[in-house]
Amino acid sequence: MLATVVTKTVRDRWKGIAIAGFSLAIMLLFGMAVYRDIDISVYTDLPEAFRSLINIPKNADVGSLAYGAIYSTYGALTLASLALSMGSASIAGEERNGTLGLLLGNPKSRTHILVSKASSLVALTALGALLLWGAGYLAPAVLNVEVGGMHIGALVFHMFAIAVFHGFLAMAIGAWTGKAGLASGITAGVMIISLFAAGLLPLVEGWESGAKAFPWYYYEGSSPVLNGMNWGHLAVLFVAIAVLGALAVVGVNRRDLRDKATGVNLIDRLRTNPMTKKIVDRLAGSMRVSRIWIKTASEHQGLLIGTAYVMFLVMGVMLGPFFNLIEDTLATFTDALPEAVMALVGNGDMGTPEGWYQVETFGMMVPIAFMLVTVAIGARALAGEEERRTMGLLLANPIKRSRVVLEKTFAMTVYAVAVAVATFSGVALGSVIGRLGMSMGNIAAATLLGMLVGLVFGALSLALSAGTGRSRVAIYGTIGAALTFYILNAFLPLSDSVAGLARWSPFYYYLSSDPLNTGMHWGHAAVLLALAGGLVALSVVLFQRRDLRQTG
Amino acid sequence: MTDKITIRTEGLTKHYGDVEALVDLDLDVLSGEIFGFLGPNGAGKTTTIRTILDEIRPTSGSASILGMDSHRDAVEIRRHIGYVPGDLAMYPNLTGRDTLTYFANLRGGVDWSHVDQLAERLGADLTKKVGDLSSGNRQKVGLIQAFMNRPEVLIMDEPSSGLDPLVQREFQTMMRETAAAGSTVFLSSHTLSEVQRVANRVGIIRHGKLIAVEAVSSLRSKAIRKVDLYFDVPAEQGVFESLNGVRDVVVENHHVSMSFDGHMETLLNAVSGRYTLVDITTQEADLEEIFLAYYRDEGVTA
Repeated sequence: MLATVVTKTVRDRWKGIAIAGFSLAIMLLFGMAVYRDIDISVYTDLPEAFRSLINIPKNADVGSLAYGAIYSTYGALTLASLALSMGSASIAGEERNGTLGLLLGNPKSRTHILVSKASSLVALTALGALLLWGAGYLAPAVLNVEVGGMHIGALVFHMFAIAVFHGFLAMAIGAWTGKAGLASGITAGVMIISLFAAGLLPLVEGWESGAKAFPWYYYEGSSPVLNGMNWGHLAVLFVAIAVLGALAVVGVNRRDLRDKATGVNLIDRLRTNPMTKKIVDRLAGSMRVSRIWIKTASEHQGLLIGTAYVMFLVMGVMLGPFFNLIEDTLATFTDALPEAVMALVGNGDMGTPEGWYQVETFGMMVPIAFMLVTVAIGARALAGEEERRTMGLLLANPIKRSRVVLEKTFAMTVYAVAVAVATFSGVALGSVIGRLGMSMGNIAAATLLGMLVGLVFGALSLALSAGTGRSRVAIYGTIGAALTFYILNAFLPLSDSVAGLARWSPFYYYLSSDPLNTGMHWGHAAVLLALAGGLVALSVVLFQRRDLRQTG
Repeated sequence: MTDKITIRTEGLTKHYGDVEALVDLDLDVLSGEIFGFLGPNGAGKTTTIRTILDEIRPTSGSASILGMDSHRDAVEIRRHIGYVPGDLAMYPNLTGRDTLTYFANLRGGVDWSHVDQLAERLGADLTKKVGDLSSGNRQKVGLIQAFMNRPEVLIMDEPSSGLDPLVQREFQTMMRETAAAGSTVFLSSHTLSEVQRVANRVGIIRHGKLIAVEAVSSLRSKAIRKVDLYFDVPAEQGVFESLNGVRDVVVENHHVSMSFDGHMETLLNAVSGRYTLVDITTQEADLEEIFLAYYRDEGVTA
C-alpha cells in the first residue's frame, strides 16, 4: 500500500519533473554555448562582492559562469517549486479533491499515507536533482568545455535539500490546515522572500548576518558550486526538514478531515454576518454571477491579492528606501561591471535607481508576477471547467463558445491590469519615499510592457487550454516556453553572431528598449499586443473545433 | 402529444479512435412526449446526448432539435432547452441561488417565483454552497436549473441519481406536467422502472446501437419477470416447463423459481386446482434480461 501510494504519486508527477529537468538542461547547454563564444575575461575583473552574489568564481571560466548564472538560481527555484506543489498536494490536495477519505478507507493510518506521500516527494525531488546532475556533466562534455574545479554534485545536493525543505513546509501547512492553496501560497512567499533576503541582506552593512534567518541562505550562502558541500548548512536544512516532517505527522493526525472542501473566504464570512449580509449578498451573490468574466475573476482572488501585495510592497515600495541603504555598495559595482554582465542580470545599471529596480523588480519578478495571474486564469479558463465537468452545463446556455473564450480572456486582462496598478504604484511610491526621482511615465511604460508580456504567455496558456482541454498541459507548456524564451532573450545578445535571434523571444519586446530610462516603445508594445491577440484568436478557433472532454 | 418531431438524429455516428461509441443512430422524438432512453452503463446514452447538444461533434450523420441543426444552430437551440448532464457537477463555491442566478443571467427570461416554487417542491436548499451539499441535494439544484426557464425541450442524463424516492416521485410529476404542457422530455436512464413510470415511449440502446423503440405498454408486456412460487406440497418441474413464456425453471421441493414473460393469468391458471399457492413473489427483471429477450425476439446480435 505504501509502495502503491508512492507509485501512483510518482506516476502522476514524473512528467513535470522530466519537463523541468529537460528545460534546465537545454538552458545550461545554451548558456554554455553562448559563453563559449564570448570573451569571458571581463568577468574575472569583477568586484569580489558582486561575483559572489551571482556565483562567479575569481578564476571564472565558461562552466562556472553557466552554473552560477543558470543552475544555482533557476534550477533551485524550479526544483523547489515542483517540491512545493507536491507538498501542498500531498494531504490537502487529496482533501480538496475529496479523495483522501477514499484513500483512508484502506486499512492504513494517516501517518502511513503521509509517510508515503513524503517518500514520493523526496524520491521525485531526488530524481529531478539527478537529472540536473546528469545534465550538469553532459552539457560541458557535449560542448567540449572544461569544468574543472566546479562542485556540481555539491550544488545539486544543496539544491535537493532546499527543494525538499520547501516541499515539506508546504506539506506541513497542508497537513495542519487541509488547505492546499494556503500551503502553496505561504511556501511560495517564504521562498521568494528568503531568496531575496539571502541575496541582498549580506550587502547591507550591519545586517549581514540577518541572512541566516532565511532558508535560502543555507542553500546558496556558502556557494556550494565553488566551495563544495557545506555540511553545517546542510545539517540546518535537514534538521528543519525533519522538524517539518514531524509537525506534518502531528498535524494530520490531530485534525478533522475536511469534506470535499469549499473554502470559507472573507466574503462568505461577511455574508453570514447580519450587519453586512445585505450589501455583500448583492456583491457576492448577484454581481459575482452576473457575467462569465466576473465569475472567473472571482475564482482567483487569493492569488491576485497575494501577487499584487508582493509586487506593491516588497518589489515596489520597500526596494526604494533599500536602494538608499546600499547605494554606496552598488555604486562601486557600477564602474567595474562590463556590459555583458549587465545583460545577464536584466540590463540595468545597478548604480542608478532605474537600474536597481530593473534588476530587482522588472527583470524577473514582473514577468513572473504577471504570468502567475494570467497563466492561472488562462490555463484553467477552459480546461478547468472541462476537468470539473461544468463546461457542458455552461454551454447548455444560449451562448457561443467564442464568447466563453473572450470573457475568460477579459477576466485575465482585468487581473493583469490589477497587478499592473499594484506594481506601478508600488514602484512609484518606492521612488517617492526613497527620493529617487524616477520618471513616473517611464515606470508606467515598463509596467505596461511587462503586463503585455504576461498577457502573451497568458494567451499561450489559453490556447493550449482551448486546444487540449488539459490544464496541466497548458501550465507546463507555458512554463517551458516562458523559461526557454527568457533564457534565449537573456543570453543570445551576449554573442554578436546570434544576437539578432533574440527578436524571436517575446521578452525582447519587454525590456530591450530600456523603458525605465527611455520611456514607452510603442512599436514593441504593438508586437506584444498583436502576439497576444493572435493567440486569443487561435484559442477561439481551437475551442470551437474541438469535442469537449468528458472526465470523471 | 402530436406527431411533430422535436429531436431527430439521422445516421448519427461517433468514433473515438477505433472505438465506435455510436453507430448509425436514427431516432425521432415527438413533441409532447416523454421519451425514455434506456441502456446499460457505457451503451452510448451520454454520447448521444452530448452530440445532440454540440458538446462533441459526430463522426458522421446529423442531429436536429426543433428543426434546427445541432451544430450550426447550437446557440439558438439552447434558448429552448433545459439540460441536466449526467454525473452533474457545478461550481462548489457558489450557493444554489448563486448558481441559478448565474445561469439565469446567461439565459435571460427566468421567472424567479417559478424557481422558488420548484425549490419548494423538491425541497432544495438554495442558501448553501453547492460544494457543501450531498449529491442528492446538489442534483435538485441541477434539476431546478433545467426546469427554471420552462424549456420546450428537456434533455436529462440520468437525472434522478441520488434523489430519495419521495423526491423522485415529485420529479416524475414535474416531468409529466412539463409534457402535458406540450414540452418534450428526453430522459436517459439505466433503470427500467423509472422509465416505465413516466415515459410514453422507450428507445433501447446497447453498444452504441439503437436496438428498439417501443411504446412503454408493449415493453411492459414483453418484460420478463422473475417469479417465485411457494406451495403447500412439493411441486413437479413438468407442470411449468411446458407453459408459454416460462424459462429457467428451478424446482426445490415446495419452491419453484423461473423467468417469465407471458401473461400472469397463464401461470396462475396452470397451478390453480393442482396446488395450493402459499406465496408468490415477482421481481422485475433487470435490464440485461430485457436485452436478452430482445435479442432472442428480434435476432439482434451483440
